[in-house]
Amino acid sequence: MFSLHKTSVAFCFIFLSASAIGGNPFFVRTGAGERGTGLVCVMKNGFWSSFSSQSLLAYNNSFSAGVNYENRFGIPELGTCTAGMIFPAGKSSLGVIYSNFGYPEFKRNMGGISCGMPLSRNVSAGVQIDYFSEIVQGEYDKIRFITFEAGAAFSLSEKATAVIHIFNPVPNSIRKSLLPSTLTAGAEIDLSKTLFAGAEAEMSTGENIIIRTGFEYEAAKKFWIRGGFSTENSSFSFGLGYLLKSMKIDLGFSTHERLGVTSSVSLVFKIK
Amino acid sequence: MIFFNHKEHKGLHKEHKGYCLNQICLCDTLYPAFVSFVVKKYLFSFKQKLIILIALLFLLCNASFGQAENNNEIISDIAEELAAEDNDPDAASLYLEYFNDLIENPVKINLMDENDLSRLFFLSDFQVKSLADYIRRTGNVVSVYEIASIPGFDQHTVEMMSPFISLKVNDGVSSDSLSVRSTLITNFILKPGEYDTSYLGSPLKILAKYRITAGRFSAGLTTEKDAGEKFFTGSPLFPEFLSAYTSYSGNGVIRKIILGDFSLRFGSGTSINTAMRTGIQLTAPGFMTLRDNLRPYTSTDENNFFRGAAADLAVRNAEVILFYSRNRIDATPVLSSDSVISSIMSFYKSGLHNTSSLLKKKDLLTETVYGMSLSYNFSFIRVGANWSETWLSIPLQRNANDPENIHDFEGNKNRLLSINYNTVSGRIMIYGEMTVNNFRNLALVNGATLRPSDRLLVNVLWRKYSNGFTAFNGKGPGNSSSAANEQGITGNFSFEAAKHLFISAGYDVTHYPWLKYRCSFPSMSRKGEIELRYLPSEKLNFEFSYDYRYSMINNQKTTGIAGIEGLESRNFKWLLRYTPDENSAFTTRINYKTAYPSGSRGMLLLQDVYHKFGRVPVTVWFRYCLFSTESWDSRLYTYENDLLYSFSIPALSGDGSRSYIMVKWDIRHFGEVRIKYGFTEVTEKSGAGNFNDEVKLQFRVWF
Repeated sequence: MFSLHKTSVAFCFIFLSASAIGGNPFFVRTGAGERGTGLVCVMKNGFWSSFSSQSLLAYNNSFSAGVNYENRFGIPELGTCTAGMIFPAGKSSLGVIYSNFGYPEFKRNMGGISCGMPLSRNVSAGVQIDYFSEIVQGEYDKIRFITFEAGAAFSLSEKATAVIHIFNPVPNSIRKSLLPSTLTAGAEIDLSKTLFAGAEAEMSTGENIIIRTGFEYEAAKKFWIRGGFSTENSSFSFGLGYLLKSMKIDLGFSTHERLGVTSSVSLVFKIK
Repeated sequence: MIFFNHKEHKGLHKEHKGYCLNQICLCDTLYPAFVSFVVKKYLFSFKQKLIILIALLFLLCNASFGQAENNNEIISDIAEELAAEDNDPDAASLYLEYFNDLIENPVKINLMDENDLSRLFFLSDFQVKSLADYIRRTGNVVSVYEIASIPGFDQHTVEMMSPFISLKVNDGVSSDSLSVRSTLITNFILKPGEYDTSYLGSPLKILAKYRITAGRFSAGLTTEKDAGEKFFTGSPLFPEFLSAYTSYSGNGVIRKIILGDFSLRFGSGTSINTAMRTGIQLTAPGFMTLRDNLRPYTSTDENNFFRGAAADLAVRNAEVILFYSRNRIDATPVLSSDSVISSIMSFYKSGLHNTSSLLKKKDLLTETVYGMSLSYNFSFIRVGANWSETWLSIPLQRNANDPENIHDFEGNKNRLLSINYNTVSGRIMIYGEMTVNNFRNLALVNGATLRPSDRLLVNVLWRKYSNGFTAFNGKGPGNSSSAANEQGITGNFSFEAAKHLFISAGYDVTHYPWLKYRCSFPSMSRKGEIELRYLPSEKLNFEFSYDYRYSMINNQKTTGIAGIEGLESRNFKWLLRYTPDENSAFTTRINYKTAYPSGSRGMLLLQDVYHKFGRVPVTVWFRYCLFSTESWDSRLYTYENDLLYSFSIPALSGDGSRSYIMVKWDIRHFGEVRIKYGFTEVTEKSGAGNFNDEVKLQFRVWF
């Protein structure tokens, strides 16, 4: 039998997990590089952003794998471990991702299989099938969801890209529990060969619109500095990245106006 | 440049610099006419056609006609603005019906008929004259691109016109020939969530429109049944709403004769106007005309048209319109102690008869209207005068207990006299109208359009309607549906600030000197809007707009004499539209609204996708929208693509989503099928959801 105290703590963690990310806690945005740019996931095509906007998978044509750990507000129980792989498959690219959040009394697992492909010279699209399970110990039911997310990326010009993305566009009336939906639209521009900037708007069911902006600057060869801002909780972000042969190491940090700092580290291996 | 086939058109499309649109490519217009001709000549006899017609009309029950293939931002903006106007709830539907009609019957601009050109109601008289003069002087317009170079026009206006015009000179058949062309449209709409079991009829909404043209003659039939209504009512049984007309159009003395149902507007509409309200929108380019307009009635408003006969005659520069109408309309009766109808307290205008009590209001009153309009074109000025009289079979009685009604009309006879003028001098057009009813109450409208340069257009409109001014079938420029007890001024401008940057803005101030509904004191309203449009390339369109509204109502919180409360709203809109090729479009839009005094906020993020497939004749529209508003005050309106002669501008309130998908299948120029499925889901804070969906189906056949 679990105590009321533990159950209460578990629900606090549910709340914190949502408020830390901003918007929809089920819509997984991961990667230290993305964290450093304020979670502007349309920012430059990257390994982790391909799982937040699967249309970008079309541009990842190498076999690669990555792991990420995110620690929210210095509380180990609010940590998220994520692992992913990308496989090239002809003109398309396939991806798999697994994510685990929480601790034994409250756990949320997510698995996804995704595919991205170019539709024309300027347009690419992608889709991901997601499976979620949420376990709260005690007399609460185990919750499972299956849904999908999809998006498209457009090359507006040689230096600008726009992305739209929809997570869970399925009516909640067909489910027992609420799974929020999220709509994201954003754009990225290459201001120079070494400086990229991006912005996006995101809205989730029952939430306000969140505006995010971020930049990435290649300060030295194979070394990147990142920064960003999100209107959700007036959160500032910054991060660093370094490419060591075929391994990329990223660190990312973001602030919360009341809860403190979220830190993230990720490793991405380009295998072939 | 004229394109006769798709290959040639596609090959040269790049030379058009973004103005060549499929809607006006001749390969799209002549080919259907040719197919229609072959089908008519070789496949169907007259008898077969008659059987098909009867079968579709009475077995399928119903049908109709057109709409912009893609979401035109300008249409959306105005439709949403009108939908948000609480004073005139029918304005948006009338406006969209008018657009449907324009898409179904595009204006053939090369015919140089100024009356026909004025169907493009968003053009000012100045622009209509300029376009007609240009074609007279230089010959037919062969590309829409050319229109932007005509004085008074710019890229923005041309974009707006393009879905509604045709560059054809004729349909491939002479107007004197008797070649028959028929169009049939049937709509079926089902909204299960909105059906009440107490309704008299089925939950289906059905609309059928049939139109036939043979040379100068045309005829049409419209029938409609709203959700919950019985299809046949009365004794003998008759369709719930049935409207029909036959018309003749000529170029000589007789311009037009209509028998049956017709729509009419004299001048600016202060005395007679059963069509859309004229006036100027805050950020639209033109929108004011004083031309008389006689047209067959094809809409579905059950109480706002004339039924009888009308003729439009012209001799040189003089034009006369004569009409007589006797129509049964809906009203709310006042019953005497012995349950006899002694008078009516108001007109019932919604046209909905889905319960027993509402059915009792149907066709309660006979309205007889007759009148004439005379206008003459001098070289520098056009002047007109009109007279009309309305007789009601049962007198109208005002509610004398309420002070706001003491100036209202009482009795059963209303006589209207009106004079108007319109003059263009160089880059200035000045117009005005004065109308008096029963020699007592006055309506005055005066305005001017200035074009100081080809990149700047300025409009000003002033109007004053005295207390008690009544025109049962009038609809002049103004804010309120009754157009009485109002005086105000509206101004707007549109300016091409740079090569790809357009700025338009407008402001309106209206004063209501007497009491009005929910406002027990003299009051005023203000509204303003500014819009920026940036078109850096053919494929990209950025738009930002801000609008402000202020009005006054009773403060419900106080007891005794009502207090004054100001209602204020501010709405920001940002839109990005990307068109990678002619068959696809992606639109992202953000709205943010604040409403006072409640202080509530509303916001939405929506994504529209449009795609026309290349290999199969299928077009798809998809929308996904998330919204969040803190109260009804901060609700947001979003225009949706829909079936022809059906429209949807849902008011989104609460936390939730609105989505739809619509698919159109073109059946080899013989017809088309559209199907739309949409749903709105509002999520309560508790997690429970409120789900409403709808299915719409349309068949459209040409034969």
